[in-house]
Order: sequence, then C-alpha cells, then structure tokens
Amino acid sequence: MTQRKYKSEDEVALEKLKDIILRNDRSELDELRAVLNDKDKLSEKVNPIIVEHFNFLKENFSSEYAAIINGLIDKKLKQSEQELLDLIYPSLGKMISKYVALQMETLKNSIENSVKSSFSFGRSFTSFFTGVKESELIIKDAVIATVEEVYVIQRDSGLLIGSASKNNSMDDEVVAGMLTAIKSFVEDAFNAQSQDLEMIEYGSYKILIRSYYSFYIAMAVSGALSVSEQGELQDKIDEFAAQKMKIFKGRFDSSRYEISNLLKENFMDK
Amino acid sequence: MTSKKVILTGSFGVGKTSLFNQFIHQKFSDKYLTTIGVKVNKKTVESHGEEVSLLIWDIAGEVTQDKVPNSYFLGASGILYVVDLSRPLTFVNIKEDIEYLKDLLPGAKIKVVGNKKDLLTDTELAQAVKSIEIPVGTTTSAKTGENVEDLFLALTNEMME
Repeated sequence: MTQRKYKSEDEVALEKLKDIILRNDRSELDELRAVLNDKDKLSEKVNPIIVEHFNFLKENFSSEYAAIINGLIDKKLKQSEQELLDLIYPSLGKMISKYVALQMETLKNSIENSVKSSFSFGRSFTSFFTGVKESELIIKDAVIATVEEVYVIQRDSGLLIGSASKNNSMDDEVVAGMLTAIKSFVEDAFNAQSQDLEMIEYGSYKILIRSYYSFYIAMAVSGALSVSEQGELQDKIDEFAAQKMKIFKGRFDSSRYEISNLLKENFMDK
Repeated sequence: MTSKKVILTGSFGVGKTSLFNQFIHQKFSDKYLTTIGVKVNKKTVESHGEEVSLLIWDIAGEVTQDKVPNSYFLGASGILYVVDLSRPLTFVNIKEDIEYLKDLLPGAKIKVVGNKKDLLTDTELAQAVKSIEIPVGTTTSAKTGENVEDLFLALTNEMME
C-alpha cells in the first residue's frame, strides 16, 4: 500500500512561483527542443555556420592545421621509411651516377684543357710545367671510360656483321636490329636523310655511332668520356673501318667470326 | 649461320604483334597494345639442313604502306603482309600496297597472310579469302597458333632458294 504524498502549502506556493519565474525560459526550451528534433529546422540553423567555417578553413587551412599535418606526415614517413627508400632509391641512384659521370667529364675536360695549353712530359714534369696539380692528373687517368660493346652493322638491313662485348648481356643480333630501327626512326622523323645519328646517351652510357657507306659501327662506352677521348675513339673507329674492314671487300656474310675477333683485338683487349 | 631480315607489316590491329609473339614465344594475349615504331626480335629456324637466323621487324600498323618509313624495309629478304580476315577494311588497299612493296624491294619474297581465321566459319573464311584481290598465301590464327610456325618456315624456305 502506497502512501499518497500531499504537498504542503509551501511547496504549492513554490511551484507557482517557479511557473511565474521560469515561464519564458520553459517556452524557449520547448522551442529549442522542437528545432533540435526537426532535421529541416536544425539544418536551416546549422548549415550557414558550417558553410562559414568551411570557407574559413579553405582560406586558413595551412596556418591552422600545418603543424598537425606535418606531424602526421613525419610519423607516416618514419613508419614507411623502408618502403619509401625502395621507391626512391633506383631513380636517385641513376640520377647520382649520371651527375657524377657528368661532373667527372667536366673535370677531365678542364684538366685536359689545362694540360693541352702547355706541353706534356710525364705526370710530374707535366704537373711542374703546367701548374696542374699531380693529384688532378691522377684523377684524370683514374676515371677511365670503358668500351663495353662494339657492333659492326649492315647499314640498310640492320643485320649484324660482327660484334665484341665485355659482358654479353643481350642477343647481339637483336641489339643490332633495334639500334638500326632507332637510328632509322630518328633520321626519318627529323627528315635528316643526309645526316646520321651520331650518339645515343643513356644514363652514364654513351653509344657512339659512325656511319659508312654499307655499314655502321656502334660503340657503347661507360664512365666519364671527355670530349678529347670521344674524338680519339671516333678516330680509332674510323681507322678500323678504313684499315680493317676493307679486307672483306663488302663480303661480310661469311666473315662474322673474323670481324668479331678484329673488334675484340682492337677495342676490347686494351 | 645465315641471317635474314623479315618484315611484318599491314594495317593496324590485324595481329602482326600477336603472330610475332606466337612465333617467337608461343604466347598469345587478348590485350590489344598498339606497336610504337618497331620491335625487333629473332628466332633461329632450319631450312634445307641449314640454320637460319630470322631477324623479324614487327612494324607499327599503317593504313597504307607508303606511310611506313622506307628505311624500315631496306635490306629485307622477306615480307609478311598481314590482313585481318574478319575486317575487309584491312585489305582494301592490298593491291596498291603489294605493288609499292615490290617496287621498293624487288628481290624480296612477299607473302599475304590472312590472320584471325578462328573468328570465321569455314564458309565465311572461303568468302573472305575469295574477296581479297591478291592471292592469300596462308590463313593463320595467332590465337590458336594454327599455321603460324609453318608460315615462317615456308617464307624461310623461299628466301633460302
């Protein structure tokens, strides 16, 4: 059995007082509740504020959040360091090796020019008389360009006449065909029938090309190749074409072995 | 060993690269990748008891052969002019193209190849072959490999005669 609780006179009076004092507040609260519970009414009130904040963010995003984002990126970079290195390293390696080769070429050219401006008489004498440091002369001699591969190729067909290679990395007949295709493409594309493609550069590799009447010679060189060394190699290729190739009198079909041996003797064994 | 340069030519999308890949690698892919410029590969075959190295130039397709750089054809001993049997548009210029190639390379052996025979019924195949102005040497399917090896061997034999 529940006991009914009767309000005292004071309590009734207090309720009445509350009604009088809080009437306006209660009615405002009801209105607010109605707005909060009605999606459309709420959107009408809130959307302008969101848009305004969004516009503010668009203009001030970097200054407001730069520190947080930088922190996140730093954290992510640290977490994925190995992954990033794997991605960047191959390209970076090529860029560095090409840059070093280029700098070496420049250095060699500059040393050679200094030496040429005087006379040459042995490294110490040369250093003494030219004023070029002996250490620089040692660098010049140490960064030697290396002939990696040489091909003699029929000019029209692209068929291989002879080849010599340090590492036999790819089928020499296919290389001869593709080199001819590239050469033909460049010469056709630039409508340069009377001119020949003379050099292809790839990373720290250079392919020197010397064209003759019925064949051409392509030589792949690695390392720093100075202008004078390039000239010397071109002279050497010209000499080979004039002196060694003439004995075959244009009959190259059955002479691949002999021509390849000549290439090896003249360009690889030194 | 004797080496011979062979050219694969014809309109675009006729299956030159697919024939090339089927012959060299015994592989076929449904993906169509247009050839840029030219791709060179080789395969050694035997003809009349002698080993012959075939240097095959797979040339990017052109609607007419005079659009192909002349230098690509120079020194070629054999030409495979490929048409798509299911697309008559690929052989509308065949007569002019073959004449052009004969003028350019008088000594070369030229074969007309009707490819994609797997897409046609026997009746359709007969009709397509009949509608081509120049006699078709071989009909092939680079997809199934039908007649591909024989095509290159027959051309090699002709070049070695």
